[in-house]
Amino acid sequence: MIFIAIVIGCILGAVIGIYAPMVSYTYSGYLAIAIIAALDSVFGGIASTLKKNFDLKIFVTGFFGNAILSIMLTYLGQKLNVDIYLAAIVVFVGRMFNNLAIIRRYYIEKFTKKPNNNN
Amino acid sequence: MKALNKEIKNKIIITIIIGLVCTVFFAVMFIQFRTIEETDITAIENMREAELRAAISEWKGKYEETIEQLEANQKLISEYTEKIEKNEEASELIDEDLKKSDIMLGKTDVYGEGVIITLSANGERQIKHYDLLDLINELRFAGAEAISINDIRVLSSTYITQPQENLTVIDGQRVSSPFVIKAIGNQTYLSSSLSLKDSGYIDKAKAVGIDAKLETGKKIKILKYNGELEIKYMKEGIN
Repeated sequence: MIFIAIVIGCILGAVIGIYAPMVSYTYSGYLAIAIIAALDSVFGGIASTLKKNFDLKIFVTGFFGNAILSIMLTYLGQKLNVDIYLAAIVVFVGRMFNNLAIIRRYYIEKFTKKPNNNN
Repeated sequence: MKALNKEIKNKIIITIIIGLVCTVFFAVMFIQFRTIEETDITAIENMREAELRAAISEWKGKYEETIEQLEANQKLISEYTEKIEKNEEASELIDEDLKKSDIMLGKTDVYGEGVIITLSANGERQIKHYDLLDLINELRFAGAEAISINDIRVLSSTYITQPQENLTVIDGQRVSSPFVIKAIGNQTYLSSSLSLKDSGYIDKAKAVGIDAKLETGKKIKILKYNGELEIKYMKEGIN
């Protein structure tokens, strides 16, 4: 059921995104950093699901909170003339790789153990 | 039963929330994709700061180069204008010189103060060509600037001959008595040097039996030379 919701959500989001008005190029930088933050949250959510400690509240607050915070930090960085968004990207992408490693390990373990169990 | 219901309700809520999150996430992502795809990043408004800096410095360089070229061109133009002005001055001077030369050569009609001498033969003696040559010499000595005999302009190249007794030729044209010699020059000098007592031309002519009459005038007209002035052998310069 969740899988169906994800698929429907993705398709609906894509359709909305295609027909929604465009953001001006100046603000697209903020949107990009928000997307990176959200993507980090998504990978974090998947990893925690695999670890069986997924918490919806943490996921939702992380999803929106990280996005908004990263946008604010980027804005602040622009006001201070410091490229804070670079730090945000480094942190988010680093965490994304960590989560991806967790996911990868989980499935590798799962597929390498299965034949042993059968035997 | 209640617990089962709650679990189902929780699952539905989680599903809806995750679906919503996915929707928002994909919507934002696609908006961003479109924005990036459809924006012309080469337009000045969308350039990054570093790109703008590079573009500005490039344009500045071009601008300075153009200014330099402009200045150089303007300098050239002013030089050329100066040259043209100089040429105009020079050509004006040349024109003036040419005019002066033409007047001196006798290629133009001229007028001015001077004298008119009329020589006519009476039965006593014919007027010989050397009488005329003498008179011309006298007039030139007295400062005559233009001379004509019977309206034939006397130039530096003019010849006066007498091939036969009764035939006087000036520059190929036959002339006969009476001879009217016009000369432009200082009226006083001309008339006084010609009418010196005894040694003057008039007295001398009269002494040999020629009727000589001297008149002075404020506005004597002398016509221009009618023939062609040709140079065949002489060249400018010293060898």
